[in-house]
Amino acid sequence: MRRSIRIVGGLIGLLFVLACVAWSGPKQPVPVSILMPAPYADASTQLVKAFNREHRGSIQLEVIRGPLETESISDLAISSLLLGDTPFDALLMDVTWLPKYAEAGWLEPLDPWFDQSALDQLILGARLGNHYNDHLYRWPLGADVGVLYWRKDLMEAPPSTPQQLSDIAIKLVQSNRVTNGFVWQGRQYEGLSCNFVEVLHGFGGQWINPANGQLELDSTSAARAAEWMQSLIATGASPRAVTNYSESDSLQAFKAGDAAFMRNWPYAWAELQKPESNVRGKVGITLMVAEPGQSPAATVGSWGLSLLKQSPHPEAAVEAIRYLTSETAQRERFLNQGYTPTSQSLFTDPDLVAVSSALPQIAKALEHSVSRPPSPLYAQLSDLLQRQLNGLLTAEPEQTNIDVGMATDASAAAMNRVQTKSDMLLKATGAEA
Amino acid sequence: MTVLLALPALLLMAVVFGWPMLRYAWLSFHADSVLTGLVPIPNGGANWLRLLTDSRFWLDAGQTSRFAMVSVGLELILALAIALLLDQRWRGRSAVRALSLLPWALPTTMMALGWRWIFNTPYGPIEHLAEAAGIGPLNLLSTPAVTWMVTVLADVWKTTPFITLILLAGLQTIPEDLYAAFRLEGGTAFQALRRVTIPLLLPYILLSLLFRLAQAFGVFDLIQVLTGGGPAGTTESLALYAYLNGMRFLDFGYSATVMIGGFLLLSLLILLGALLLRMTGALRAMQP
Repeated sequence: MRRSIRIVGGLIGLLFVLACVAWSGPKQPVPVSILMPAPYADASTQLVKAFNREHRGSIQLEVIRGPLETESISDLAISSLLLGDTPFDALLMDVTWLPKYAEAGWLEPLDPWFDQSALDQLILGARLGNHYNDHLYRWPLGADVGVLYWRKDLMEAPPSTPQQLSDIAIKLVQSNRVTNGFVWQGRQYEGLSCNFVEVLHGFGGQWINPANGQLELDSTSAARAAEWMQSLIATGASPRAVTNYSESDSLQAFKAGDAAFMRNWPYAWAELQKPESNVRGKVGITLMVAEPGQSPAATVGSWGLSLLKQSPHPEAAVEAIRYLTSETAQRERFLNQGYTPTSQSLFTDPDLVAVSSALPQIAKALEHSVSRPPSPLYAQLSDLLQRQLNGLLTAEPEQTNIDVGMATDASAAAMNRVQTKSDMLLKATGAEA
Repeated sequence: MTVLLALPALLLMAVVFGWPMLRYAWLSFHADSVLTGLVPIPNGGANWLRLLTDSRFWLDAGQTSRFAMVSVGLELILALAIALLLDQRWRGRSAVRALSLLPWALPTTMMALGWRWIFNTPYGPIEHLAEAAGIGPLNLLSTPAVTWMVTVLADVWKTTPFITLILLAGLQTIPEDLYAAFRLEGGTAFQALRRVTIPLLLPYILLSLLFRLAQAFGVFDLIQVLTGGGPAGTTESLALYAYLNGMRFLDFGYSATVMIGGFLLLSLLILLGALLLRMTGALRAMQP
């Protein structure tokens, strides 16, 4: 009797031990989920597979394919963050969102994971727009700046000043060598602000003074920059339709061979080299034009990965961020999809330059990167600028200047209105006492 | 007993309609933005003061009312004509009735994308036609004076079937004998329309007006996709402005103020309309 009790007890003990072993046996991998706009998610498919192979049993990475449009992604992310229970660990963020998201308290600083030496390896344009209040909140996935595309078959050399660009464009259009001169993004949306920042710096102005945080859109430079953009349309250097163009519309016109110049991001290069492109092999890349004595400028528009504060697995999420932004990943994304890398060394890498002859020019543009104002209220400030600027561009010009870039009453008034309304906004929201 | 039976419906209304309205009214007296860390902090009537002096709010209110009144007005006229036609007996009527509902069945965003393409400069079909006629380029989506009419056109195309449907249902409630009697008295077809059809249809007309005005006043998806509020903000609606303040600018206090402000304006508009109707005695004509 006592013996059978002992046997039963032993069996139960054995079962218990076995159960423990079985239960703790195969460890559940830590799930990490990252939200990206559709094109970036598609470009990451292979990398995600490779990551999950290398981290089998420890981390299971999933990239959520979000909407295509920049602002739709933001809406989706913000909705989930506002509800307080976001399903995402990390987010691929546009450069202008960062101050807003950081100020809202949604982001976890990345300082513990990325040190100064990691930052030093980045090309200048990729180093901008990742910090807010001295904390690193974002690690760049790809570098992105505005550049000027020009047609090698229509001109000897690209223009370097606004006057030259206007002259060449008008001459080409008037001699019927091309339908449209210069296509850019004049629609009332964020792209217009990006275009304007480049022109503004080219005329020696700036949106916000980094030294004291004051807005400077009431400057003569700003009025001259706005006037030049209006004069492009008034003189026929640009078609009127650019006032409703976004990037894809401009690219469509330029790719069809209907334009002599295009302002766009580096992604357009790969599109222009495709077999169906009418301008394949006839395109050069250069910096946006600037007045003599002024430095040309390229607006930074990069995307980067941010860690969300609510993430239950920050370590695993950072591991995924590191992997997706590694040099290997950059190389793969560049060779397969044409996304611009962020590491300085890759811009002189023979393998990469052999694939795209535009890379050295893009590197040069990245050295001339300028940022849009890093304010949590940026979306409002930009919205005010877009409205006034688009209003100026679509208005019938009261006077047409012979001299390119002379401020007119209309352009000065429009810029002063942006300045006044922006200052009023900062006061009304309590950003500025 | 009646109250008891209505209770579930009242409760549902309170939850899905009353609660959000109260919540937004409460929020409109608070600063709740990215600058307050998304925590509501009472700020008295600061949002409302800002709204009163916000020229953009009033501009948008004007633009929204213009859009709502012009599109609903056009829709009503068109819908009445189409409903009268579809009420007659002719071959193939059922097929046309079904077809005429098609625009209403399409998702607004898809339809807006379609219009955006149709009016695209220089590749859209409208520009091609204009070019062939020698009047292009029209730049209809980037000319501030005209673009709002394009949004009206898109809305009319899409929602006329909705009013048609209501009016058609109304037409079928008018007994055939009334017309027969009217003819017997020597009335013409046009007189029949004026004396019989329209007065008896009036409740349906008012119903569809109310539905559509409220809906058009809150227009968002069509504008967001077709023009994004441009050019130069000339097509921006109040709903779009409230959305921008909330989702894009993360200023929920002010967004709520814009929304409640818009709601109050709409209520005022409908009240005025009702008063006008009462004064003209139209409501009395509704009684058979």
